[in-house]
Amino acid sequence: MAFDMKMALVRPALKYALERNGHGAALGFTLDKLERGETHLTFPYREDLVGNPITGVVHGGTIVSLLDTACGCSAMTIQSKPSVTPTMDLRLDYMRPAQPHKPIYVEAKVYRQSSNVIFCRGVAWQDDRENPIAHCVANFMKVDSKSIQFRSIALKKLRRLMPWRQTSVNDGEQT
Amino acid sequence: MDKHNRDELLLDWQERVGAARQECHPQSLLDMIPYSAFIGAQAKVDDQRLLYWLDKRASNIGNPSLPAIHGGVIGGFLELAAAIEIIYSLNVTDMPKVVDFSLDYLRPGRFKTIYASCKVMRQGKKLVNVSATAWQDDEQTPIASARCHFLI
Repeated sequence: MAFDMKMALVRPALKYALERNGHGAALGFTLDKLERGETHLTFPYREDLVGNPITGVVHGGTIVSLLDTACGCSAMTIQSKPSVTPTMDLRLDYMRPAQPHKPIYVEAKVYRQSSNVIFCRGVAWQDDRENPIAHCVANFMKVDSKSIQFRSIALKKLRRLMPWRQTSVNDGEQT
Repeated sequence: MDKHNRDELLLDWQERVGAARQECHPQSLLDMIPYSAFIGAQAKVDDQRLLYWLDKRASNIGNPSLPAIHGGVIGGFLELAAAIEIIYSLNVTDMPKVVDFSLDYLRPGRFKTIYASCKVMRQGKKLVNVSATAWQDDEQTPIASARCHFLI
């Protein structure tokens, strides 16, 4: 496979944005693999995320967050100009309960994209990939707006670090 | 976990569920679930129904550049609300088990309080269907709507 320059730039930025910011940082997962349209992540067991105090199993909401993140990440990177993709819907099937004190592995992949919609599939498992705890399908909108492209978001962030250039805010947008 | 310990926890759980129903205090159910403290979910009885809300907090942000609430948090919050609705309003003894969960995102979740309410659509012997809606400014303009099945 040819070297993908854009992915090489996007990968560390996205990894940083998801692992160190907001809810991603609070959950504490690690992104293991980030390719165009494919994301793998690992989530360690955490006691403060338990949903069932009787069995100690993590809450389903955690799995929603993990799969939503992984699917969203795959959808963002599949585009020729990577940009933020709003989620349209997400459907999750819990095939069996997660076991406490074990990490959860998540894999998500884009399986089809049309001109307006990106279709994504994700799976979460613990011991055996063939025997998953949850499976999900999520659809994302392709929004044709420059302001949400990774490129303009990165430029905006850079400009904040360079106060002497604040007067020419529209530089990046025209190119 | 050994069986004896599980039975003890279950008894304790049932006792607290009974107390929460008697005192009309659904918040005490949420207090028993660590995940609800993690996202900051709260509940109260409001006008004959249960109202859930999620105050804004930095650890729930999904997209820092807008900022918008993480879609997973909205999903987790609605799933939690649906489970509490079942525990509080139906006669169940154990934790309901979620089977599937389907969520439609209607509007972006802005960085402010999210409210939610649920409705039990059907209760069977084994399965319960619950629909949940989340909104921010106005109940008539929901930001997300969910539908889930639980085994009881």
